[in-house]
Amino acid sequence: MAKFVFVVPPLTGHINPTLSMGTALLERGHRVGWITLDESLGDKLPAGGELLLISYNQNDQQKKDSEKYLDIITKKIVYGIDSIKFLYEEVLIPLNRHSYDGIAELLDQFKPDLVITDHQMFAGAIAASNKNYPYVTSVTAPAAIKVMDELPKVHEWEVNQIVALQKEFGINTTDSIACSDLATLVFTSRDFFGEMDLPEHFKFVGPVFNRRKTTIPFHWEAFHTSKPKILVSIGTTFDHEHKKAFFAKVIEAFANEDLHVVVVSDPALFEEWPANFTVQHQVPQLELLPHLDAVVCHGGHNTVCETLMNGLPMVVIPIAYDQSHVAGRVFRVGAGERLNFNRFKANHLKEAVNKVLQNESYKIAAEQIKQSFIEAGGTECAADLLEALSNKTSNVFIS
Amino acid sequence: MDTITTKLSSEEIFNLMKQFITEVIGEEFVEEMDITPESSFTKDLEMDSIEIVSFSEKIKAHFGEQIDFTGWLSSMDLDQLINLNLGMIISYIEECQS
Repeated sequence: MAKFVFVVPPLTGHINPTLSMGTALLERGHRVGWITLDESLGDKLPAGGELLLISYNQNDQQKKDSEKYLDIITKKIVYGIDSIKFLYEEVLIPLNRHSYDGIAELLDQFKPDLVITDHQMFAGAIAASNKNYPYVTSVTAPAAIKVMDELPKVHEWEVNQIVALQKEFGINTTDSIACSDLATLVFTSRDFFGEMDLPEHFKFVGPVFNRRKTTIPFHWEAFHTSKPKILVSIGTTFDHEHKKAFFAKVIEAFANEDLHVVVVSDPALFEEWPANFTVQHQVPQLELLPHLDAVVCHGGHNTVCETLMNGLPMVVIPIAYDQSHVAGRVFRVGAGERLNFNRFKANHLKEAVNKVLQNESYKIAAEQIKQSFIEAGGTECAADLLEALSNKTSNVFIS
Repeated sequence: MDTITTKLSSEEIFNLMKQFITEVIGEEFVEEMDITPESSFTKDLEMDSIEIVSFSEKIKAHFGEQIDFTGWLSSMDLDQLINLNLGMIISYIEECQS
């Protein structure tokens, strides 16, 4: 038995893959913990998973600080390249600075054989390195690596932010240690990632999906019609006025069309939705996907991979962060169309959806990526790798 | 034609850039925009990073070796990229021609 610990940021897309790998490791009889700022993660952990909550012997200010980071990313409207600056300066760097002491303390309590830290939780890498625990990195947003190639100066800027933080905690290297050179797991396939020379320790294990059955209720009766079915979801990160403008266009595009439209949104966003719409705050997405014909989404890496894993074409409308890149990949491999979030109008959305529904080529391309995902290995392959590394490193580090 | 030997005036460059932008984001959007040399890619034209990359590919395809546009673009840091406007590109291309 080995002890594994995941270090995760309070961002759903980054947590889900760790739940899936954690489940596999627990099933193999290991101990698995999750270091997080977010107490509510406890409800999502697989049976036997241990919640290791970052909490400080707090005066009230610090407590407030912790809470502030949980939804900080939803508080501001950011778009395009601007959002990268916001992400680092106002979210990631303060979040990691705040989390460092807690992570370091929890590592010493749990004494893991292997730390798996998210690529945006640099504090996990810094703490593991300072405390001499071997760590690997999980890359839930692979665009972060691709940026090195496409916009090298932007990448350099990002690295500088991380290096400055590393210095604060006593690591004086000129390069970021966020991506472990022991192993960096990238949750996509080479085919979907695209061409780029990378060192051997970047392991493309394919997407890993949380296999746990959800208990989210869904109105299946209304859903089983003969009409083509699409899902429209713009993720969990954008909880603000972006949504209203967006869904107004969705309604205009698809109201009374020969389609059944499942929308993930607060139903109260509009007083009335068209009759061919099913609107729910949450949907059992993984159970729903096999029954769908296409997906409209914002280009979050998880939703895109889940869609491709079902061989479905999509229309991607990126808003911020790495989504523009993910949308670009979907378009490049031929599995879908992309629209510009600010510019698109209802008729563009309607045309794009019709195009991906009617032209077989999108579906064929999606099927090909699906195949590459399956070949990459997924959860079990990632778990094998982590197990092997924990064996290897326990000799090196503990003896 | 392998190389473009004629020197373009700044107005010709501007029109060419406008044509590339149109190809990247679509004619109907450009019609609604007032594109000027002061137009910034991120704020005014609302182009995202992938659109900026495909715009730069078009410049590369057009000018070839003559202009190292991708190199120039990749020398920009985040703030410069956020503030990048058409005028800056026009002067860069003019410089390369002289």
